[in-house]
Amino acid sequence: MTQLPQDAAGVTPTERPPALAAAMAGGVETDEGGTSLWTAALKRLVRNPSAIVGAVIVAAFLIVALLAPVLAPYRPSTTEWANQVTPSRLPAFSPQHPLGLDPFGSDLLTQLIYGARQSLIIGVVSTVLGLLGGALLGILAGAFGGWVDTLVMRLVDILLSIPSLLLAVSVAAIVGRRPESLMIAIAAAQVPVFARLLRGSMLKQRGQDYVLAATSLGLRRRSVVMGHVFPNSLGPVIVQATLILATAIIEVAALSYLGMGSPDPTVAEWGRMLVKAQERLESYPHLTILPGLCIAVTALGFTLLGEALREALDPKTRK
Amino acid sequence: MTDNLLEAAGLMVHYPIRSGMVVNRTIGHVKAVDGVDLAVPRGSTYGLVGESGCGKSTLGRALLRLEDITAGTVTFQGRDITKLRGEELRKLRRHAQMVFQDPMASLDPRQSVQSMLTEPLRVHGLAESDRAEFGKNSAKAHAAKAASMLELVGLPRSALGKYPHEFSGGQRQRIGIARAMILNPELVIADEPVSALDVSVQAQVLNLLSDLQDRFGLTYVVVAHDLAVVRHISDTIGVMYLGRMVEEAPADDLYREPLHPYTTSLLSAIPVPDPVVEDARERVLLDGDLPSPANPPSGCRFHTRCPWRRDELCATEDPPLREIAPGRRVACHWAETIAAGRIEPHAAAVVPAKDAEGAGGSATAAD
Amino acid sequence: MTTTYPGVDEASPGSRTPLLSVRDLRVTFGRRGQTGFRAVDGVSFDISPGEVIGLVGESGSGKSVTSMAIMGLLPTRGVRVEGEALYDGRNLLDLSQRELCRVRGSQLAMVFQDPMSSLNPVVTVGTQVTEVLHAHQKLSRADAKAEAIDLLRRCGIPDPGRRFGEYPHQLSGGMRQRALIATALACKPKLLICDEPTTALDVTIQAQVLELLAELVSSLGTAMVMITHDLGVVAGLCDRVNVMYAGRIVEQAPRRELFAHPRHRYTEGLLNSIPRLDGDRDEPLHPIPGTPRDTIGWEKACAFAPRCRHATDECLRPDLELRQLAPHHDVRCVHPAGAASSGATGGASAAGRSPEPPKERS
Repeated sequence: MTQLPQDAAGVTPTERPPALAAAMAGGVETDEGGTSLWTAALKRLVRNPSAIVGAVIVAAFLIVALLAPVLAPYRPSTTEWANQVTPSRLPAFSPQHPLGLDPFGSDLLTQLIYGARQSLIIGVVSTVLGLLGGALLGILAGAFGGWVDTLVMRLVDILLSIPSLLLAVSVAAIVGRRPESLMIAIAAAQVPVFARLLRGSMLKQRGQDYVLAATSLGLRRRSVVMGHVFPNSLGPVIVQATLILATAIIEVAALSYLGMGSPDPTVAEWGRMLVKAQERLESYPHLTILPGLCIAVTALGFTLLGEALREALDPKTRK
Repeated sequence: MTDNLLEAAGLMVHYPIRSGMVVNRTIGHVKAVDGVDLAVPRGSTYGLVGESGCGKSTLGRALLRLEDITAGTVTFQGRDITKLRGEELRKLRRHAQMVFQDPMASLDPRQSVQSMLTEPLRVHGLAESDRAEFGKNSAKAHAAKAASMLELVGLPRSALGKYPHEFSGGQRQRIGIARAMILNPELVIADEPVSALDVSVQAQVLNLLSDLQDRFGLTYVVVAHDLAVVRHISDTIGVMYLGRMVEEAPADDLYREPLHPYTTSLLSAIPVPDPVVEDARERVLLDGDLPSPANPPSGCRFHTRCPWRRDELCATEDPPLREIAPGRRVACHWAETIAAGRIEPHAAAVVPAKDAEGAGGSATAAD
Repeated sequence: MTTTYPGVDEASPGSRTPLLSVRDLRVTFGRRGQTGFRAVDGVSFDISPGEVIGLVGESGSGKSVTSMAIMGLLPTRGVRVEGEALYDGRNLLDLSQRELCRVRGSQLAMVFQDPMSSLNPVVTVGTQVTEVLHAHQKLSRADAKAEAIDLLRRCGIPDPGRRFGEYPHQLSGGMRQRALIATALACKPKLLICDEPTTALDVTIQAQVLELLAELVSSLGTAMVMITHDLGVVAGLCDRVNVMYAGRIVEQAPRRELFAHPRHRYTEGLLNSIPRLDGDRDEPLHPIPGTPRDTIGWEKACAFAPRCRHATDECLRPDLELRQLAPHHDVRCVHPAGAASSGATGGASAAGRSPEPPKERS
């Protein structure tokens, strides 16, 4: 097809005087590009130091959790050194037990490593559950609006009005003392957060001109919502999910500390380790400090990564 | 009878004003468009002007059924489309498209240009007339059509792989235009197509729109607040005020001889980039602000700000839009009397031309 | 300093000492260690008392940054401001925050584009005006209120007594802009900088506000810098016009001269590309090709050259000078428009006041 006779693009490089064209080369109009917003966000992410720190912590946590059977010197449930432990004395650190034993005669390093696994499984599963539940409600409310929206959001308001710990304890009371109860409890507390976030995000996007444009192009409503509104609403949700993982890990520890989760006392879990250690806080502070540090650092890692993601996905918020 | 591609009769778009915490009660209506009649002949350009809040954008969208129509009818290609629903409405979109004001907001930021341009083709398929050139519907044919469309709007093929944020405002608007034209529509409604662009780029886009119109025999409705832009591109101009059409005239006549007091004031308020003209112009300034469209004034809606208002009729009777000369419609009780110079505007509203003294005086002061 | 020219029929900078003299203003944005983006690249202009000058340019031309720099409103981190802005013998750019605060409001004031974000939404309009009066004048509460109400009335706000106690969101856009002008003029500043004061307003409201500004400025004897992208606004209001492109002034002239004989190819291009209300409708528009993004750095060549239909290799001259082509008419262009007649006037001006004779083309 031919160019329009009077095309506004106007002066083409061939018409330009040679030296001028040469001077402009590189500066103006290159054919490079084709960077989607996701790619651009990723580029911004890897340039952000706190993202790197967060990512390193998260990666370390993931590796430790996934490779626990390989990395840990012993099996987690073993208490075979119980005879070395007395109510008032723990044996000193040794090459066999670099971090010593816990009050029940288990290897502390092993417990910490398997604790990561437990936190990861419960934290991730519960966040994924919360995300799915929340996303479903959010899409329902955000896509349809009207009375569906009102209904869903009132439901979410009710969920939000229950303190999350109370909610968790009630779930545990119903489901029983099992790891699943922890997951459900934490997920239940997250559902309203994700639902609200996604709905708000979708409502904001729905008011944008490109949604009107998609409608005016004759797209079906489902394609408009799933093809345009939803992908553009995901950014804040991804950020929130990362940040919530940090909270989830703390909550797993907190709920275990309160005695929820697996009834098997030999299952290694950071929160439960704190319970076991609290009587010896003065004599053996490392029993408390080490699991506490694990919880704090992991949570920090996810928070740093989440904040960095927020900046990367929405550069306008950067200072 | 002329061949009108698009007609509207008694068109109304009212938005409910809701209030209430649990149950939303409707406590009133914003009368964004409140009874508009217009006809757009095939192949022509109809310009809609007015200030923000006059309902011009709502009217533009309502003509495409992108707003819920409260009352009245829209006729497109001789068919009443007011009540179309579902599939039928979707199929209509092939023939009637829209160009938006803010090209950044109207392009999905996560969509590549290629995907953006081929999306309408995936939905509707290639236009009949394009089949010969690009073959049957296939991803390849769609991509070829997209590339040729890009070239037509003055962008290189390499733009296909890029994303909206990688373009300048003018280039983005070209993409928006390419997307609207890719289905070979008959009608294109452009809502403030250049107002978000840099001054030096506006003319490029205006020329592009004219060129495409000539090439495809398009019918345009151009909505804009900038009367100079609308006048340049339109054949007929409709001036809106508070949801009503107050004057309709051929583009040249409107500037030469505005008949409605609002048009006169609007024209005199627009700055002209020429000091000689500026200094010699007598201005008519309007009182105060636009009244709320939720509660428009009684009688003539413009009477609260009109420099020519009379005590009789204006505040009590709503003037109909009537034809007072061929092609010239105006909604003013006193249009003929004002045109004949028998009613003068209130003196307070008139700012005399400053040419008489102005510039010369300050020069002497400086010396 | 400057001599006046007989026969120049418009307000000239005159022989008076300028009120504000901006010299070689440069503003660079960028983090430490990175090569920054130079938004303003050596801008110089003078404003005499009572004069109205225009700063015209598109987005990215540096017009707003110029005004922010003069007012000391740019953030201190990540921004480098160089050059001089001499006001009353002092360089505004060197003043401390405290000194600046004293000058701002009492001597210099600014009106912004968006009145909603420049007015404090939780403080009544009246308080915002009296606040300025209190800060710079010793006035009793009652006097300040009376003065403020008078000010609001003079700025065309109907029923100022009632508006005094209202919050910004209760006013319409036009009224807000008037309230903002009232706060700016509260202490009768010597210089008012308006940054796109009417861009957010409808045309009929714009006409009201421009009329108000023109009236106030002439009655108070306030000098004004009008920053805008709209050549129409400048045409009716300003004594002298500076056209900016890519951070530099490319053309300076009295308004009538500028619009009658635009010499810079950019100015000429702009005037040819905007549809005119009173123009011939059938005449096609002649757009400037490309976008304001397509520039070369001034240190290498004329920044407009990539979009200029008259560009040649000669335009590849580093740091083109602003040269005088006619009395009070300076242009930064190798191939100015109307070059046929430029010989005579150019020669005359070279003998006149131009500090550097215009460079002849080689």
